[in-house]
Amino acid sequence: MSLFGSTSGFGTGGTSMFGSTAADNHNPMKDIEVTSPPDDSISCLAFSPPTLPGNFLIAGSWANDVRCWEVQDSGQTIPKAQQMHTGPVLDVCWSDDGSKVFTASCDKTAKMWDLNSNQAIQIAQHDAPVKTIHWIKAPNYNCIMTGSWDKTLKFWDTRSPTPMMTLQLPERCYCADVVYPMAAVATAERGLIVYQLENQPSEFRRIESPLKHQHRCVAIFKDKVNKPTGFALGSIEGRVAIHYINPPNPAKDNFTFKCHRSNGTNTSAPQDIYAVNGIAFHPAHGTLATVGSDGRFSFWDKDARTKLKTSEQLDQAISACCFNHNGNIFAYASSYDWSKGHEFYNPQKKNYIFLRNAAEELKPRNKK
Amino acid sequence: MGRKKKKQLKPWCWYCNRDFDDEKILIQHQKAKHFKCHICHKKLYTGPGLAIHCMQVHKETIDAVPNAIPGRTDIELEIYGMEGIPEKDMEERRRLLEQKTQESQKKKQQDDSDEYEDDESSASTSFQPQPVQPQQGYIPPMAQPGLPPVPGAPGMPPGIPPLMAGVPPMMPGMPPVMPGMPPGMMPMGGMMPPGPGIPPLMPGMPPGMPPPVGPRMPPMTQAQPVTAPGILNRPPAPTATAPTPQPPVTKPLFPSAGQMGTPVTSSSTASSNSENLSASSKALFPSTAQAQAAVPGPVGTDFKPLNTTPATTTEPPKPTFPAYTQSTTSTTSTTNSTAAKPATSITSKPATLTTTSATSKLIHPDEDISLEERRAQLPKYQRNLPRPGQASMGNPPVGPIGGMMPPQPGIPPQQQGMRPPMPPHGQYGAHHQGMPGYLPGAMPPYGQGPPMVPPYQSGPPRPPMGMRPPVMSQGGRY
Repeated sequence: MSLFGSTSGFGTGGTSMFGSTAADNHNPMKDIEVTSPPDDSISCLAFSPPTLPGNFLIAGSWANDVRCWEVQDSGQTIPKAQQMHTGPVLDVCWSDDGSKVFTASCDKTAKMWDLNSNQAIQIAQHDAPVKTIHWIKAPNYNCIMTGSWDKTLKFWDTRSPTPMMTLQLPERCYCADVVYPMAAVATAERGLIVYQLENQPSEFRRIESPLKHQHRCVAIFKDKVNKPTGFALGSIEGRVAIHYINPPNPAKDNFTFKCHRSNGTNTSAPQDIYAVNGIAFHPAHGTLATVGSDGRFSFWDKDARTKLKTSEQLDQAISACCFNHNGNIFAYASSYDWSKGHEFYNPQKKNYIFLRNAAEELKPRNKK
Repeated sequence: MGRKKKKQLKPWCWYCNRDFDDEKILIQHQKAKHFKCHICHKKLYTGPGLAIHCMQVHKETIDAVPNAIPGRTDIELEIYGMEGIPEKDMEERRRLLEQKTQESQKKKQQDDSDEYEDDESSASTSFQPQPVQPQQGYIPPMAQPGLPPVPGAPGMPPGIPPLMAGVPPMMPGMPPVMPGMPPGMMPMGGMMPPGPGIPPLMPGMPPGMPPPVGPRMPPMTQAQPVTAPGILNRPPAPTATAPTPQPPVTKPLFPSAGQMGTPVTSSSTASSNSENLSASSKALFPSTAQAQAAVPGPVGTDFKPLNTTPATTTEPPKPTFPAYTQSTTSTTSTTNSTAAKPATSITSKPATLTTTSATSKLIHPDEDISLEERRAQLPKYQRNLPRPGQASMGNPPVGPIGGMMPPQPGIPPQQQGMRPPMPPHGQYGAHHQGMPGYLPGAMPPYGQGPPMVPPYQSGPPRPPMGMRPPVMSQGGRY
């Protein structure tokens, strides 16, 4: 489908029909490839909320575009629509009713894309690239939260050009997650702040980082009664911290684990430590997935503190991941994340988004 | 030799009863003789560590410590050097040594008068009880009923009595967890073996963790006298008293635990919290009305004890982890210095990480800026131009992309690279600061794209933009 209008000849079906050699390792897990992937690295993925029938996937990329596909139960992916920014897109999110997609970009703006009309309008403005965008649905208000490298967190009513609220961050916003009534924001210099969103957003607690390296991704998890109770924080040093907000015994309940490292333990070669590019929690099981610069994804059970699965290694990093609303589909994007700098960037290298059935593999381990 | 603390002074190996001059030598001995894998000869640091290694790597179980004397072969007892030795074995040893010294003394002093002997023997015995007590002070927690003594006990003594309250719930989970997940344990293996009581020290520690032996000691001496009796009595104490006895610790001893300072803090918090949490169902952010004001301040009723901990933890918004300079990899130490820098904005020279150490290599550029920031600096990503290959691709089906119509009133040509003829393709050229946004009231040419988006049925395409213009013109610019 030439719907997305890009020049590279992805055309028909998007599978590796051209030039796929025997040693091609771009999809070692034999997962479903999404058709018409973006032409540059994928920075973010988001599935539609349960209010929409079916599954729609949104991906933002460094090609300045945001693409939308319908994912059918058969696994077939159908490109639906596309919007553009004037700078690379860094984050995307859906509104709770599934009618709008919000996109954040290096062009210092955020936009609201009305899918019905296929119109997008600017709804936010920062002084530096907008790194995170999240939709907040509270009983008494709805708004968009944007985090930027200009060290502010702004809240926008999409109908007004001025923010409803601006909160100062200690440093540039690197990642954030929102599960009402909690929001977690991680910044440069290992800053970590939790906000509570009831009545109006306010800073709840600044937390001393459980990690010793640059923060890269954060994801909030919920307890058994579906209330947000903590978050997982990933760093560039192949490590994820599980942190509860009010644990009965913090020293025991909070922990970190290593991930996305090459097997350097017994060998003489130093171990390669890769950044954790994304963390996503399975909406039903509460288990989590991490994706890293090493080109692998792993599934973990944080309560049993065990690893459930690690994938084979892809030939390039995995830059983003997400689950669909019921946890049946795990989507992950294979594209260069700049972890080896500019030198290893190959603009010709294709970027992929893979879909995997996640219903079985993320079931928690039975402890005891 | 000093008479006072024989046991402590002269290190001895619990597994084979040999004496050593130095604890370091003792540890080397243990690693080589008792904690060495018979399959691959890898030297681990503890018995449980060896067990887990064999299970995970070789899929083999071992049930006895190699080269240990009978009765001392317990693989699950976590002994490292002189730490972890059960009290009764310590006493036994003391008695043994006492006997030996008494015998040797008797032999030596047989020429002396009997009175001297009596004095000295009584004197030497009187010393013994005293050093025992401080240890006994925290041994009882280990003997709690319901605790499988083996996995729990060895990990406990070094200064982590306050965590005992939390251990029982953990304990039953431990044994099944360990054998049950050989394939999955690798990355977390470094954490588990040291035992449930040592999670705070786990991060950053290679499997086995020699370094924590050092830092473990000082905290132990601090924590013992205050906490040991106090913690166990604390649960009934009301919340009012909980904050007060806590030392105003700002530099956490176990920083990797994330927030709580000393174990004292966490356990008292734990105890009072557990009562409150059970009382109130789910106040994650209690008294939100108050919470809107200052943050780390008194956050409401149910979580009062937590005020102290947030206070201690939130004070340094730029955390430094002095204890971590002892950590093994140099990546951590350099990043500490990075972290210790106050949040200076990125100037021309961002701080650098140490990405390489002897044992590991961080696959990340050296500067301590995010990968996206680094990438965004490239000129290629900064031009606000249509991406190459996407311009003039005439995609009518793509539809009305934002309706960027040139003839929009009041759009000052502010942005660079603004191509006057609107590319049919919808690049958001007119989309810069100061732009009142797209007034897509003028949507016309492209229809509405409904042919494209059949699934988005919800109602006719409304004119969502209709309401923007009025607002925009007020605001002017964003």
